[in-house]
Amino acid sequence: MLKIKNVQKSFGDIIALSEVSFDVDDGEFVFITGPSGAGKTTLIRLILREILPDQGEIWLDETDITKLKVNAVPEFRQQVGVVFQDFKVLPEQTLRENIEIALAVINLQKAQWNERVEQVMDLVGLADRADLFPAQLSGGELQRTSLARALVVDPKIILADEPTGNLDWETADAMMELFEKINKKGKTIVMATHHKGIVDKMKKKVIRLGKGKIKKSENESDKKESTKDEKIKK
Amino acid sequence: MSIHFTTAKKHIRRSPFQAMAAIFVLTVTFFVTTILAVLVYSSGQAFDYFETRPQVIAFLKDDATSEEISNLQSKLSTDARIKEVNYVSKEEALEIYKKATSNNPLLTELVSPSIFPASLEFSLVELSHAESLISEVKNEGIVDEVGFTASLGGEETLTDVVSKLRSITFYLKVGGGIFVAFLLGTSFLVLLVIIGMRMSSRKTEIEILDLIGATARFIRTPLFYEAVIYAVVGVTIGWLAAFIIILYLTPSLIQYFGSIPILPRDTLDLITLMLVIFAGELLVGLVLSLAGSAIALSRVRPRK
Repeated sequence: MLKIKNVQKSFGDIIALSEVSFDVDDGEFVFITGPSGAGKTTLIRLILREILPDQGEIWLDETDITKLKVNAVPEFRQQVGVVFQDFKVLPEQTLRENIEIALAVINLQKAQWNERVEQVMDLVGLADRADLFPAQLSGGELQRTSLARALVVDPKIILADEPTGNLDWETADAMMELFEKINKKGKTIVMATHHKGIVDKMKKKVIRLGKGKIKKSENESDKKESTKDEKIKK
Repeated sequence: MSIHFTTAKKHIRRSPFQAMAAIFVLTVTFFVTTILAVLVYSSGQAFDYFETRPQVIAFLKDDATSEEISNLQSKLSTDARIKEVNYVSKEEALEIYKKATSNNPLLTELVSPSIFPASLEFSLVELSHAESLISEVKNEGIVDEVGFTASLGGEETLTDVVSKLRSITFYLKVGGGIFVAFLLGTSFLVLLVIIGMRMSSRKTEIEILDLIGATARFIRTPLFYEAVIYAVVGVTIGWLAAFIIILYLTPSLIQYFGSIPILPRDTLDLITLMLVIFAGELLVGLVLSLAGSAIALSRVRPRK
């Protein structure tokens, strides 16, 4: 579904990403991890076509998004659900309006809005918060709002940039359970996080970045299995 | 209701003072524009009235035959510079005299039709033709004398009045036009600044919308709607205020100017005139608001 081929990106003299290549299959849940400055957010921004790489290709299904014309970018983004660390919800719109705006953006008929909105609000557990404003919601609720907005357009893929970065452990854990639930329904998820505990717990495919390069790309469960085997051999 | 229209209304409610500033400037602009438009109309009407008012009377010699009179009348009727030609016989002239002196019967007792000359009366299409026409008519064999009449007095007085009116109309058009252009320019700049401020205050919102796939059109449409709301409300209030004042003053003005039709006497005609002005102003207001918002929005950094 998603193919990153030999991507390179620099900001002046700073090399943010270098020779980054990996694939994400349909329905897969992939973590992009690494310390601050490793290039996680840059990679998410590249996939979202917020910035362009200096070199390399990024394919989503049959589209090389690095070759997209400017006026084709909105249509591409409408197929991608995105969740941010700082939630990026519209402060003067209610929770329901924040979700509905995504449907207005994809130009869905208004008659279909209610059903879709109710469905995602039930899924993220915010059905009773529909008419509240962001200032009246907790961090976890805001992040779930952000996720609901991403889901409501039925995207091909969900990109999440440090979605638990501003949440306490308990809320982050609940949020990750929600992501897993969505992934089990068949949604492809690419999540950038430096939260090692979450990555270890979830046992998903991990792309480890360090100084802009991929250090390791492996499945956490495979890694644990291989570590066990090595210990047995010893 | 369109989501863009709802968003535009929310923006206005969120910053009511910016909205009030925009509407107030547009109101003043279109109030003055309406008053000036009516003044230009009225001065034009007065100018037309005086220009077509002059009556030339060709007094005919007593020995003029009816055939000669008929020939001259036909000749004058086909002249493009002349509006209407009427033949006034000696008897009709006496009747006119009697009517004019009806409050003093002594003046009518001693007169007979024979002392009044028959005449051909005609009005001019434009005052500028008066001089040449009068001299041409004077040269006609059956014409004894040519008189130039108007309620304002003789030929010189009338020329003077029309010339003054022509100047007033010209200065009203040019001066009023410059003043209105200045006000429209100010309104345009205010709209530009306010829409620009809206863009700045909505920076985060625009960024979010951009990231979730909103097109430039989706982002900009509420701002266009907002500018259109300002224009429609500003034009309507300005026009309505001017209309109320004009309606209030019309009876007094009509009475003061007498037969000079500076404003339509029929209420329906007056309303039609005002609606035509309103339609024109609305069009100008819409062009102004759309151009102002388009320029303000075009200054936003394009997506790379």
